[in-house]
Amino acid sequence: MVWQTIWNQIIDLSLIAVLFRVMTPILLAALGGLISDIGGAINIGLEGLMLLSAFTSIAVGSSTGNWALGVLAGVGVSMLVSYGMGFFSLKMKVDIIITGFAVNIFGSGFTIFLMSKIFGVTGNYSPSKAAPIPTVNIPFLEDVPVLGKLLSGHSLMVWIAFLSVVFCMVLIYKTPYGVHLRSVGEAPQAAQSLGIPVKRIQYSALAWSGVFAGLAGAFMSNGLTNMFVKDMTGGTGFLALAVVLLGNRNPIGILLGSLIFGLASALATIVQTVPDAPIPSQFIQMIPYVVTIAALVFFAMRQKRKLATIA
Amino acid sequence: MKSSRMLVLEVSGILMAVVTALLCGFVVIFLTSSEPFAAVSALFLDPLSSWFNVGTILNKAVPLILTGLALSVVFQSGVFSMGAEGQLYIGSFLAALTAVYLPGLNPWIHLPLVLIAALIGGAIYGAIPGLLKAYMNANEIVTTLMLNFVAILLTSYFVNNQFKSQGGGYAKMENIDKNILLAKIIPGTSAHAGILIALAAVVLVYLLLYKTSIGYELRLVGKNGHFARYGGIATRKIIVISVMISGALAGLAGIVEILGIQQTFKQNFSAGLGFDGIIIALLARNHPVGVLVAGLFYAYIQVGAQTMQYGSDMPREVAVIIQVMLVLLVTAQAIFTFLKQRYAKTEQKAVK
Repeated sequence: MVWQTIWNQIIDLSLIAVLFRVMTPILLAALGGLISDIGGAINIGLEGLMLLSAFTSIAVGSSTGNWALGVLAGVGVSMLVSYGMGFFSLKMKVDIIITGFAVNIFGSGFTIFLMSKIFGVTGNYSPSKAAPIPTVNIPFLEDVPVLGKLLSGHSLMVWIAFLSVVFCMVLIYKTPYGVHLRSVGEAPQAAQSLGIPVKRIQYSALAWSGVFAGLAGAFMSNGLTNMFVKDMTGGTGFLALAVVLLGNRNPIGILLGSLIFGLASALATIVQTVPDAPIPSQFIQMIPYVVTIAALVFFAMRQKRKLATIA
Repeated sequence: MKSSRMLVLEVSGILMAVVTALLCGFVVIFLTSSEPFAAVSALFLDPLSSWFNVGTILNKAVPLILTGLALSVVFQSGVFSMGAEGQLYIGSFLAALTAVYLPGLNPWIHLPLVLIAALIGGAIYGAIPGLLKAYMNANEIVTTLMLNFVAILLTSYFVNNQFKSQGGGYAKMENIDKNILLAKIIPGTSAHAGILIALAAVVLVYLLLYKTSIGYELRLVGKNGHFARYGGIATRKIIVISVMISGALAGLAGIVEILGIQQTFKQNFSAGLGFDGIIIALLARNHPVGVLVAGLFYAYIQVGAQTMQYGSDMPREVAVIIQVMLVLLVTAQAIFTFLKQRYAKTEQKAVK
């Protein structure tokens, strides 16, 4: 009976809708993480950047009544903080992991501070005149039975996320900037000797990660919920970080990784809504984390074997 | 340069970082508060204004010192574990089971058993990322972060189901017998015996790191893994051991917090103690004595943030600015390199 209900939900494409919703922030943030990773600066501060953007975005979006301004402001703040990360890690020589860690605590605490200072609330801020990111209904197609439900009625940000995959592929593999980025990440000294401005490239790589983490955060507040809840990202940034490390350092890998993670979260969401679910929700929520560890071990083993055959 | 001079340089650098971080906090308070003087004095003076508050500082410092020790051990071996939070949950969960479901024992036997259960639970959970790192070369930052979530969800499942307390709707275990709760040790304050455990742990970790061969090997692996391996040190084994020791200390932090404050295992009770431990270890430069000082200072800031929230219009999250600046400035290698260069230059001049 219960399995039947779950299966029905999967079959009638609710799963796809949920999947797109949960994978979008993971995908966007992971793309950001990918670019900084390729540039040789792993950004573990994605979670904090997302929170800062989520708060800024809903605050600006609701007070101006314009979602686009909100998203832009969120992305701007996230980018600015990424530059700050660059300052501390590249100029002041703070370990990049520690910088990211600091951004995470900063994001969590500072958004609560701002929320209580500006809006006088500490738990969550839900503006009365929220300006949500619009959904895209594709004319004609939305009436086609299966295809309509599959492709129409998703948030604009879902499409931006998919387009971002293409954008990142072009950026990384088809532009001079991408060549510089990859060479800086792989052999900074060699890049330096060729006259590539290593630090500037790394600053920009961090800034890109800020842009995409910013989009992800803005989507969570302005797109998914229309409110800001303290620590609302709830580990999405860490999932994205895991996707970065699993994604085999290319945008398609990131897309696949986000898909796996999104699927696990979507299944957890669906099973949680079914009464008397046969599996405790905690165990389903665990899936992405366990999958990450398993996949990481798998990749590490494969790499080891590769190294062994070369030697 | 003499090493004592280096120490002076290091400590004065850290003190400068602390002062700068506090100034950043002041600036934000003065910019955003309508009663900045009241806020600042509540932040800095109120924690010391009563014995009760001093006791609270000590109590807050206990788990911070223990998780700080946990992370300094693992950081010294060159492993960047972020897993103290998860190890804390598993260790203290196992210990809480021992505390609740082994009743009728003499407290002098029961309490040590509970503490040992915490050590074992944390160590076993720490062994997982340790083994994955040592033998599979799996990135420990990611594995430990992911294992944190697994531990939190796992314990949450158990205290929501099998081990749920009968009374009340909270997801927690049955209350722990009063016999083995940590007693108050200073009359008139809330300070419990956990501070003694923390002090003992500081001494033990210091001895372990600086007076034993394992400690020597552990630090050598952290400084230069290749060199250590060529020197005949079983690098992999040392890595696993260091993460296990770290996990054990994290588990201890959890159970001491439970026996001293919480009185039972509650779902999500830690609220980031393991992550605070990372900050403590960074501030302390991974040195046990530094951990003691940093833990007390950090607890003081936390209590100050709370008294400020009561005594002024500032929310306690302002403290986060001070914490973040502390982390960044204390770990900023550039500042310390600069200081050392300056020092070297003045030394040269003195020679001329």
